Amino acid sequence: MQKIPLMLAKAGMVLARDVFRGDSPTGMPVCGKDTVLTEALITRLDNMDVQSVNVQGHPVWEEGELSYEDLLRELDHRFEKTMQEPLNAILYDIHKAHLIKSMEGEGGRQTE
Amino acid sequence: MDDKRSELKKIIMDTKTLPTLPGVISKLNSLSDNDKASVQEMAKIVSSDQVLSARILRLANSPSYGFYRVSTISNAMILLGVNVVKSLALSSSIFAIMEKDSVGLWEHSLGVGVAANLLARRLKLPECEEIATAGLLHDIGKVIVSLKCSEAEIEILRLVRERQIYIQEAEREVIDTDHSEVGGWLAKSWFLPDKLSEPIAFHHDVAKSINHRIKTSVVHIADVLIKASGFGNSGDGYVQKIQQVAWDTLKLNERALSDVVEEIEDKLVEVKNFSLEMIGS
Repeated sequence: MQKIPLMLAKAGMVLARDVFRGDSPTGMPVCGKDTVLTEALITRLDNMDVQSVNVQGHPVWEEGELSYEDLLRELDHRFEKTMQEPLNAILYDIHKAHLIKSMEGEGGRQTE
Repeated sequence: MDDKRSELKKIIMDTKTLPTLPGVISKLNSLSDNDKASVQEMAKIVSSDQVLSARILRLANSPSYGFYRVSTISNAMILLGVNVVKSLALSSSIFAIMEKDSVGLWEHSLGVGVAANLLARRLKLPECEEIATAGLLHDIGKVIVSLKCSEAEIEILRLVRERQIYIQEAEREVIDTDHSEVGGWLAKSWFLPDKLSEPIAFHHDVAKSINHRIKTSVVHIADVLIKASGFGNSGDGYVQKIQQVAWDTLKLNERALSDVVEEIEDKLVEVKNFSLEMIGS
């Protein structure tokens, strides 16, 4: 899952989380997760002041953004000293799973 | 070696040499000890300092506390509690220095504040805001070390780089104490309540915390979580060992940890933006 500004949203992308109006982030969702975006839908979301959306996968690559391999290498480096501790190993696995999910998988059930 | 330690302690216990504690705080301290003082009176004191008020409102609305929308100082005092506003005033003056000189440490601290708050909420603990403040302030000792022994700090960071050790190991070697102990001295000399000073002093050794072990455990775990995220820069890049006593005190499990990590990662995007805004302002 990736959070992108609405400006970069394109038809064909799939919402990974519910979308809310820009002025009432806790109100009713205006568009449910798993919806496939269309040009018309993006224009309507823009009219509703929506600033950003969460989409499935990792469709937008910014300059300077690290690849999955780089991120994983950094994660390994951070855990270098404590990997053998059982509790830290649990945390490492959680972070690795999160990394994989943020790169390819779809979003959790949480709403945005 | 021991000289260095007692010298540093002397410097810190003698508050006069610390330029960062504004007069507003001591006025607030004397008022909040007085039962008859009203929240409005205290708010008036804080409001007399425009820069401070602006910073408090920014912090009160930051992702660490961002569960409210606070627009006046007296509302901030009622919603967050007098003690929290007091410590916010305190941290904002300390962080004013930090933001300019060490953005990495500021981001790390802000991150730990957020993580501590989310963890406390997830565990349904009382006084989540105080726990968030303790998280925000947990590395305050590093600011003092940097302010008061800037040469030693360079040496400490060199040791961390060369020998790839934790910053507290390097600190003990160079100044015969570490940032958590220094932070504890500072918290004492500022008469911060135990619920803030214990997590500051013992976030690397939870077992030593007697009266507020739960809060200390939350700050310890939050510190580990933020280091695991790689957010900000706390001096060394290594995740510390999760202390079993903290894990047991909070009755944590894999499920809860995983949920909290997810929430934190989500929130950190906002924190990053907030921190950039804060530095720009």
